[in-house]
Amino acid sequence: MQISFRSLLTMILLLSVTGCGMDAGSGKSDSKLTVYLNDFDDMIGPMFEAATGYGIELVQGNGAEIMSRIQAERGNPHWDVVWIDAVSSVHGLGLDGLLHEGFAPDNAVYLKDEFRKLVPEREWYYPTSAHAAGIIVYNTNLLAGDEVPASWDDFADPRLKGAVGMSDPAIAAPAYPFVSWFYQQYGLERGNQYFERWFDNGLVIYPKNPNVAAALVSGEIKAAALQEMNAYALVDQGAPVAVVWPEEGAPAAVRVAAISKSTTKLEAAEAFVNFLLDPAVQQAIIDTDAESYHVPSANGATPKPDRRSAGKLLMVDPLWSHQHEAQIKQWFADYSLR
Amino acid sequence: MMTKWLSADNRAGWLVSLLLALLILFPLLAVIVQAVLPGVFIGSWRLGQFDVLLEVFRRPLWYRSLINSILLSCGTAALGTLLGAGLAVFRSQYVFPTAGWLDAAAWILLITPSFIMAQGWVLFASANGIAATWLHLPFVTSYLFHPAGLVFIMILSKFPLAYLAVRSAIEWKVESLSLAARLAGASRLRTWLAVELPLLSPAIGSGAMLVFMDTIGDFGLPATISAVYRFPTLPYSIYTAIYTSPIRFDMAGALSFYLVLIVFAAIVIQFYFVRRSRYDHMTAMAVRFAATPLSSSKARLAAAGTLAFLSVAIGIPIGSTVLISAVHSVSDGWALSNWTLANYGALLDGRSLFLSSLLRSLNIAVSAALIGALIGILVSYVLVFTSYFYKHVVEMMSLAALAVPGVVLGIGYIFAWNQKWLEPFGLLLYGKSPILVVAGVAGAIPMITRIMTGTMASVPRSMLDAAQLQGISFAGRIVKILLPLCRGALLTAALTAFGTSMFDLATNAILFPPGYITLPVMINKAYEAMDFGQASAATLLGGGIVTAIIVLIGKLVNTMTRRGAKD
Repeated sequence: MQISFRSLLTMILLLSVTGCGMDAGSGKSDSKLTVYLNDFDDMIGPMFEAATGYGIELVQGNGAEIMSRIQAERGNPHWDVVWIDAVSSVHGLGLDGLLHEGFAPDNAVYLKDEFRKLVPEREWYYPTSAHAAGIIVYNTNLLAGDEVPASWDDFADPRLKGAVGMSDPAIAAPAYPFVSWFYQQYGLERGNQYFERWFDNGLVIYPKNPNVAAALVSGEIKAAALQEMNAYALVDQGAPVAVVWPEEGAPAAVRVAAISKSTTKLEAAEAFVNFLLDPAVQQAIIDTDAESYHVPSANGATPKPDRRSAGKLLMVDPLWSHQHEAQIKQWFADYSLR
Repeated sequence: MMTKWLSADNRAGWLVSLLLALLILFPLLAVIVQAVLPGVFIGSWRLGQFDVLLEVFRRPLWYRSLINSILLSCGTAALGTLLGAGLAVFRSQYVFPTAGWLDAAAWILLITPSFIMAQGWVLFASANGIAATWLHLPFVTSYLFHPAGLVFIMILSKFPLAYLAVRSAIEWKVESLSLAARLAGASRLRTWLAVELPLLSPAIGSGAMLVFMDTIGDFGLPATISAVYRFPTLPYSIYTAIYTSPIRFDMAGALSFYLVLIVFAAIVIQFYFVRRSRYDHMTAMAVRFAATPLSSSKARLAAAGTLAFLSVAIGIPIGSTVLISAVHSVSDGWALSNWTLANYGALLDGRSLFLSSLLRSLNIAVSAALIGALIGILVSYVLVFTSYFYKHVVEMMSLAALAVPGVVLGIGYIFAWNQKWLEPFGLLLYGKSPILVVAGVAGAIPMITRIMTGTMASVPRSMLDAAQLQGISFAGRIVKILLPLCRGALLTAALTAFGTSMFDLATNAILFPPGYITLPVMINKAYEAMDFGQASAATLLGGGIVTAIIVLIGKLVNTMTRRGAKD
């Protein structure tokens, strides 16, 4: 059998280029709107296609994965719309000149006042909902009566020594808006001191909210600052936990939708953002998705029934939060190693 | 004639260099260059701060990561190689019941991603895990979630690399050497120590390097363990630099630089050992290695030992995963009402992403294994038989992909394969499914090369020279002489590549195109949604199917070649 060097080379190239018969229909389609998002990927695509006739492709990832993709693609962006609950990061994209400006969707008239205030001057993004980045959740088998924490200050109380956990602001997307509210409230220096008291009381840091939830259910910790949707999910599953809305309120994570400056499908992108601001759509998301515990941004849409009695949400200034992000996260990462 | 031979060698060398540069070197450089030119891929040539390279020694998190990585990988390489090589030699030397189980176990451990093994261990050993609550062994927690405990877990996950490397090297043996030693009066042990062990040393060295590099680049274990025990390593900190807003590609570049530096040092050490002697001991007198049967009492002891070992290495982590996949809730314990097959049923439900993502991953893994094997043969050939000038560069590049964490390679692939000018050539691969194949190939090459090189090193050059004198072409020599001799190793390599590409979470998570969810991404999504039952069931079902395919192909190929030999 004589096989020439050239035919071997051809074989490798051929296999490499065809990818050994990768199925067609995979990969990016040029005609469809590409949306990067971190939740609701099961339902939003079909809903949008049915309502508008535009085709849509979704890339789901956690907030950090999505932001990382966007940053890595800066030379040649593949996304048309980003829809995630990390307003300060999206604000940063606006400052970097990556977002489409000056778009005023028709459905913006439905925005509630507290959400309208969050729309930046150059209209980089529109908020679609907000939820508590952290509320107090405790294990009902382990805490009762006076032991139950009622406010954030209780996390520094000796009665909860070594028994409180939260997710890592350097890793979990909602943990940053949570801590950043305290920093905005107290200033950087006193903010550090505030969390030092939690750490000195034995605060346990877990990478992400699901890890915190698991530790809480197993009894490894007795109380936690947990993202709202994870907290209610535990309650729905019948886990031995209860939710406490602290009187002072709970720092909010705001979900916003923004259009890429480089999009070639502006019409569809604008239709998508407008679609998300429609009260009927926001209601449909809340009614369909089991984990959509949040406050919708549009007047006329209402939260899930078991959430309606919830306390107040504390909004963080996106610009302030963006400007101090690196500093605060670095302090947390280094201090928690001690 | 000589010039022609050299030119064929050199052409192979250049081809291999080009392929490896495209697959591994350029993407890696694209990440490292971020440390000094953070804006280079968006058209900005502004210099970054070189200071970032020193920051690793100043920031507690990064310094600790560096130290942890070195401790973990050195400990695992030393003890894991001892265990893997020891088991391989024992298993090849003697016939005893359950010996075949060791091979199967090595395979299972090799293709099971470390994040799944680690999940199993966490489930077993965490403060409220199976050990503490079901078995009443609370001390397990503090023993395992400790640097030495992590080395222990890592050894059990990585020793198969050394085991398989040594196993394939024992496939053929030149008995005359050992017989000569015995005739000269050497004892069996002395013959083994003085003749057989040194002949195995390239394979042991290769195995040790594989273990070291796979450990230092491992992301799954530290990431998973971090849920219960804080043990940051370099790959984990690179991940946090890339996956923490504000995204620090420059810091990821600096940390990757140190990672590559450590691997470079490891390769230099390996070169030193391999160069000290020649290993092309195989001649036409080589015979297939024949194992000696053990006496029945010793055989029983060996079988018991094997079973005890396997029940720890596989039984605990996989057993914990099986348990989770088959219960409604861990905390409800042994209660009859807690057992269920619902998690498996849900996977086959029409709405589940399981089947479609499984098919996609199979497609990717088969392609990656075939292309990877083809390139791997060429790389090994160049490394073993040619005098190609840049041979060491080729070796370095082929190993780099193993040491570089998937997250780094993934980000590098976005930089490298998302350039607008590639579009007219149809090579703008980012955002399309072939990029997952390319990444799979890059990930598979080091493994294939290591396994192939160990075996090829024992084939004497003179066999190829003789064929060339008969007028056999370059490719003919590879196909007709080299491949039949290295058949076992090639099959091992291709099947390993297939298995590992199936579950490569890091690159898949970063590079999966819109609407193209693959199996590891699907499993990870289930984990993130805290749906441990579903994730475990998908892991076991997917892993089971992959294992079945590997065993089937292995058996099929063996039967075919045996029949071929009879004919």
